[in-house]
Amino acid sequence: MSETGIEPRPQLVLEPAEFAELYQTHSRAVYYLALRYLGDPQKAEDVTHDVFLKVYRKFSEFRGDSSWRTWLYRITINHCHNVRQSWHSRNLVTNADEAVWDNAVAQSDSPFRALETKELGQRIQTALDGLAEEYRLLLLLVADEELSYAEVAVLTEQSADAVRGKLHRARKAFAVLFQQSA
Amino acid sequence: MKHESKLTSQEQEQLAEIKSQQASVREFASVEEVLRHDTGQTAVPPAIAERLAKSIQSLPRPPQTWWQRWLKP
Repeated sequence: MSETGIEPRPQLVLEPAEFAELYQTHSRAVYYLALRYLGDPQKAEDVTHDVFLKVYRKFSEFRGDSSWRTWLYRITINHCHNVRQSWHSRNLVTNADEAVWDNAVAQSDSPFRALETKELGQRIQTALDGLAEEYRLLLLLVADEELSYAEVAVLTEQSADAVRGKLHRARKAFAVLFQQSA
Repeated sequence: MKHESKLTSQEQEQLAEIKSQQASVREFASVEEVLRHDTGQTAVPPAIAERLAKSIQSLPRPPQTWWQRWLKP
């Protein structure tokens, strides 16, 4: 049985109630990943719409060999990459040198201290925007408790050990950027 | 002995502001915790579901299988 209660099975279309349940269960995760990965609420809306429309149309292609969440994330990541590539082709963007983060040290023992307001979301976005795309995606995926390291590794097409190694650097870089955004 | 408040209204407002700020400051143990909290605070815009419903309605219906056509009176 899947996490939505919908049994993965080959069928042509999703029943409306099944699709509604799928959307209810996973739309926040899909929207949040797109929002923080792309840093643009309008693009995140478009991606979320397109992802679920694709799921509705291509439901018969879901074989049930991965979880719904993993399948949805795979579609979301691909879609976000397409959006970014199309945007990058029109705009020049540079990422900060990764070596900076290796040498950087967070200035306090509790770097993640923030006012629990809208400011927090803005600071998170600023910190994520300063990361390399790979690090940003890894952090966003690992933060989802429904995903294992193995699933994150499959989604990002690398080994679980590589994920762990990169995560160490990504966390460090995020901590520095988060502090700087205060 | 009971002490009466000697604070002016302006001082009381400042005190209330400081207290509210103190109450809303939050510490997180890890990046993942920050992001999970942020996820919980992020609402999915209702416009997406409305747009999705319209898009699905406008999709062409899947073709009927032979047995569906056969069963149709």
